[in-house]
Amino acid sequence: MSDDRPEVHVCDDWISIPLPDWHKIPAAQHILAASDHWTETVPGLDSIAIQFDPARLAPDQAAHIALDQLSELKRAPDTASSTTVIPVCYDAAFGPDRDYVAEKLGIPAAALPSWHSAQMQRVAMLGFMPGFAYLESMENCGNIGRLANPRQSVAAGSIGIIGRQSCIYSFDSPGGWPIIGRTPLSLFDPARDQPALLSAGDKLRFEAISKTTFDNWPREPAA
Amino acid sequence: MSITVVKAGLQTTLQGAPFSGHRHLGMPAAGAADCLSLALANFLVGKPLAAIAIEITILDAIFEVNEPCAIAVVGAAAYVRINGQDHPQHQTLSLKAGDKIAIGPGRPGCRTYLAISAEMHAERILDGQSTCLAAGLGGFHGRALQSDDVIAFAPESPVTEVQRTTPDNLRPHYSDDHVLRLTRGPETGHADENIVDHLCLSPYSVGARADRMGLALEGPPLTAPDASDMRSAAVFPGTIQLPPSGQPYLLGPDAQTTGGYPRIAQVIRADRHLIGQLAAGARIRFVQTTPDRATEIYREKISLLTSWLGQIKLW
Repeated sequence: MSDDRPEVHVCDDWISIPLPDWHKIPAAQHILAASDHWTETVPGLDSIAIQFDPARLAPDQAAHIALDQLSELKRAPDTASSTTVIPVCYDAAFGPDRDYVAEKLGIPAAALPSWHSAQMQRVAMLGFMPGFAYLESMENCGNIGRLANPRQSVAAGSIGIIGRQSCIYSFDSPGGWPIIGRTPLSLFDPARDQPALLSAGDKLRFEAISKTTFDNWPREPAA
Repeated sequence: MSITVVKAGLQTTLQGAPFSGHRHLGMPAAGAADCLSLALANFLVGKPLAAIAIEITILDAIFEVNEPCAIAVVGAAAYVRINGQDHPQHQTLSLKAGDKIAIGPGRPGCRTYLAISAEMHAERILDGQSTCLAAGLGGFHGRALQSDDVIAFAPESPVTEVQRTTPDNLRPHYSDDHVLRLTRGPETGHADENIVDHLCLSPYSVGARADRMGLALEGPPLTAPDASDMRSAAVFPGTIQLPPSGQPYLLGPDAQTTGGYPRIAQVIRADRHLIGQLAAGARIRFVQTTPDRATEIYREKISLLTSWLGQIKLW
């Protein structure tokens, strides 16, 4: 093994490989997911984990194979994915914490949609719930903290923001992110070929839409 | 051509194989919390080992079958009664239309599996039919069963002819005292401050916050490793996380796919089916092992089970 191989953490049926350069994580995911050794490949924010069947592979074998596969990373071109546009209605009905966030940012509430939709975001990872997306803004976003009291229920499609992180809720669920808007898109639909709308590494930006546009957005048939 | 839920119990769901290959989409594993008991139950009615069965949690439940079929019950239940008459677990039982099955509360242990020879209708999503409660997907409308629910059988469900009894040496022992083996986790820390040693030195018990997503463990508080710079990363069923409170949290089958608390240990695959039998109040001793030894233990367990069940996977 060459010296620049990352230090792998080995459990009995999964291993974690640190990848501090998050630009490499989508490419690593791509390489590892193409292999039939792994039952799961799960990107984190600065690492990737793979799970395997311990009846077929021993942990050290798995680590060896994975690192061999990832040696291709050096040659992997930076994945220049296109930018996904996510329509968001920032109407007060869908963004109950608009005023709170605007105040933290020191901008008028009416300016929040244009402030938020001007930013480039990347999908850092999916987690928490199927299709739930963690986003990272390319800009500094001030000191927006979590809500003191988490909500019992946050509607699917809600956009939350904490500092430079945003998130998109995929299902109605409890949550403590301040909510500034809602997208009519379905983040996770098992009936689609690609059930999750987003995947780690995607670039995206938000586009403000009116409440009328939101209300008339064509709904995908229920799964 | 169906089974009716007469009394649903605390949390009764349709569960079979876990969802596999979708964790990068945020999709939890779900599936039977105790996959070994599921496999033993399904085998007794001639079904594939990971076929959909009814998973019953803690409290008693009652069902009525609306056509002749065979059933088997495996798990923590205190009793199995058909029309008021006691019947054994671990055995194929033939039922006629209108028979009522009462399944006693899980004590000791937590979960019981009712396998049915007919194919129960369960919603198919991704590659599976298990119930994912968090997202409300799969199984019976993505939710726990309620009284008066009717689960349809597939029209051409074959009625099994098998008549089996689980050999004594393969019957799991259900208990409120568990030994779970584990390996170090990525954030265990360095050898001179090995938190896993501390985890293994003290007895823990399962707190009141215990469900398919995870179990709060109660015991001497641990000193959490400095995780101020930890970024969210993959977690799996059986991962033990340590929040700043110092009280470890053991993830279950419905665990979310990523988390930001230090992953201090990982319950080995061979012992993970026991997590499904951990009820609030159960006592746990943790024993540290190495990943290599864990692999041997898993392969030994599989090989023992293969002699009765044929090819089997635990998850």
